[in-house]
Amino acid sequence: MSRDQSAEQQIARRLIEGHRSERAEGHASARAAAAACDQLYRELSRWVGPDGCHALFTRALAQARTEYPALGLIQLHARSEPYIDGVAEAIMAHGDPATAEALESMLISLVELLGRLIGDDMAMKLIERSLAVSESGGEASDGRREEA
Amino acid sequence: MNGNGAERAAIRSLPSGVPGLDTVLGGGLPEYSFNLIAGGPGSGKTTLAHQIMFANASVERPALYFTVLGEPTLKMLRYQRQFSYFDPELAGSAIQFINLSAEVMERDLGEVLQRIISEIESAKPGIIVVDSFRTIAAQPRSSDKGAAFDLDQFVQRLALHLTTWEVTSFLLGEYVAEEQRSPVFTVADGILWLTQATDRNSVVRKVQVVKSRGRAPMPGLHTFRITDDGLQIFPRIPEQTRKRALQRRERLSTGVPGLDEMIGGGVITGDAVMLTGPAGSGKSTVATQFVVAGLANGETGVIAVFEEYPEEYLARANNRNPEVGKMISSGKLELIYLRPLDLSVDEALSAILEAVERLGAKRVVIDSLSGFEVALAPTFREDFRESLYRLVGTLTATGVTVFMTAEVSEGFREARFTSEKVSFITDEIIVQRYVELEGELRRVMAVIKMRGSDHSHEFRLYEVTAKGVVIGDPLTDYDGIITGVPTLRAKPAKAKRGK
Repeated sequence: MSRDQSAEQQIARRLIEGHRSERAEGHASARAAAAACDQLYRELSRWVGPDGCHALFTRALAQARTEYPALGLIQLHARSEPYIDGVAEAIMAHGDPATAEALESMLISLVELLGRLIGDDMAMKLIERSLAVSESGGEASDGRREEA
Repeated sequence: MNGNGAERAAIRSLPSGVPGLDTVLGGGLPEYSFNLIAGGPGSGKTTLAHQIMFANASVERPALYFTVLGEPTLKMLRYQRQFSYFDPELAGSAIQFINLSAEVMERDLGEVLQRIISEIESAKPGIIVVDSFRTIAAQPRSSDKGAAFDLDQFVQRLALHLTTWEVTSFLLGEYVAEEQRSPVFTVADGILWLTQATDRNSVVRKVQVVKSRGRAPMPGLHTFRITDDGLQIFPRIPEQTRKRALQRRERLSTGVPGLDEMIGGGVITGDAVMLTGPAGSGKSTVATQFVVAGLANGETGVIAVFEEYPEEYLARANNRNPEVGKMISSGKLELIYLRPLDLSVDEALSAILEAVERLGAKRVVIDSLSGFEVALAPTFREDFRESLYRLVGTLTATGVTVFMTAEVSEGFREARFTSEKVSFITDEIIVQRYVELEGELRRVMAVIKMRGSDHSHEFRLYEVTAKGVVIGDPLTDYDGIITGVPTLRAKPAKAKRGK
């Protein structure tokens, strides 16, 4: 794995970690990964619009699906809350660790894709912004509260 | 308090970050102004707005860039970051991009306004951009009939809020000239109109300050170019805006032995000299000698090349005089290469003036006017005479001495001393031409104009040698030199004595 990929994996894991504590019950990893995706969708939508963001997630999901069958049950609903659907079904069918790993892989694909489009530095900055929201407990760096 | 008992609210100017634009705007962008950047697709609106934003945004006073419909934000960021002004470090902190597509497509103007206001209240920006405002105005809404207010009110309220929040704002929109009755044109404090026109194979971009409240912008259309650094505007050369520098009328050596004598002791400082001649007559050689001669007095120079690639020009000049290369290496001479086919006279002047100021140059060579005219976009060739008049006037007003070459075609039965289009702009005119003498092609030089000074009226033979042009003897024994085929004058027979 290249150095760049590990940086992308690191940021994906940080995104998920930010939501793990909130999900103390069973299937914590997959639910945390799904919550991270939901939040990233909201934050990136602010920058690139819900349609632009949905296009990014759709491509990332398609890419990750080839390696992770658990993602076959995952659906994305633009302009909806939650954005990620089918997580419970995926956990039922493939188990929590496999679903969590699959969702993490989708996040990594998304970070890579965004980096290819607008440059790694700016992609990281946008995602760091999302991280700041989760680490501050839902308040964006510009003072906005994370929407429910 | 002023004399009228009223205190003026000072309007601070923001630097636009766009070379040339502050000059056109009459000093910069008025702070807290509400501006419209209008123009057709691809005219440079988004690039201009980004350049302004990156020049002014700070973490304390960030810039908010609202994107609506039209160019997807991802693509916009992808392309914009190719420009040198785009600093990714500022993205997310000093510059925030906010997408309004959901509000515009799904809600009414009131909610769009509310979203903009709430973002402004939250971020307290110094600058905002709405790209494209036109899509907000044009988007059909099912709820329009029941909406709180219409487009006129939306624009009024937006302008009011932006001003009271002390925000300098830019609305971008694709408009055509006939649409200037749109309410945004009335409310806007400033309107910048960008155009690009195709003329044959050339594309010429122009900007006009249609409106600028409280300012005196430069009138007219100003050409601009978009490069890797963004927009660069070339303010239209004003007619003698600079006072001609008062200077002692000293003589400058041309560096051509014999030529100084022909022109009464040398070129007069601050004059515009034109050297004309057919192809291969040695015009560029004389021009180079003129610049190198300045070196002896510690003068620096600029050569604007239009006909050749600079490497070729330099190699040829260096062959004759290695001083040229040394002058360039030591920063005493700058070679400017201006050979695009969509050039404007204003752009050429801008490049030359910058180099003159950079080097403190005293001598400028334009080699050649013929190549310069060809390098211009067709639309500028039409008023070449007028533009050149302004260019030469502006350059000589700075105190530099301008030496121009011009190619003239000539036959052997006609004499065309100068290009009739441009000779009136010069103070001094020197001509070169070919003549046939005793079956050989020879070159002659003559001075036909020296404003305010005596000069030789002789035709002098000259040679273009490996070291440069060398003036020879006058052709005093010939008639009809002007025709190119002179005849040896018959000598009067000696009177016989003793008969």
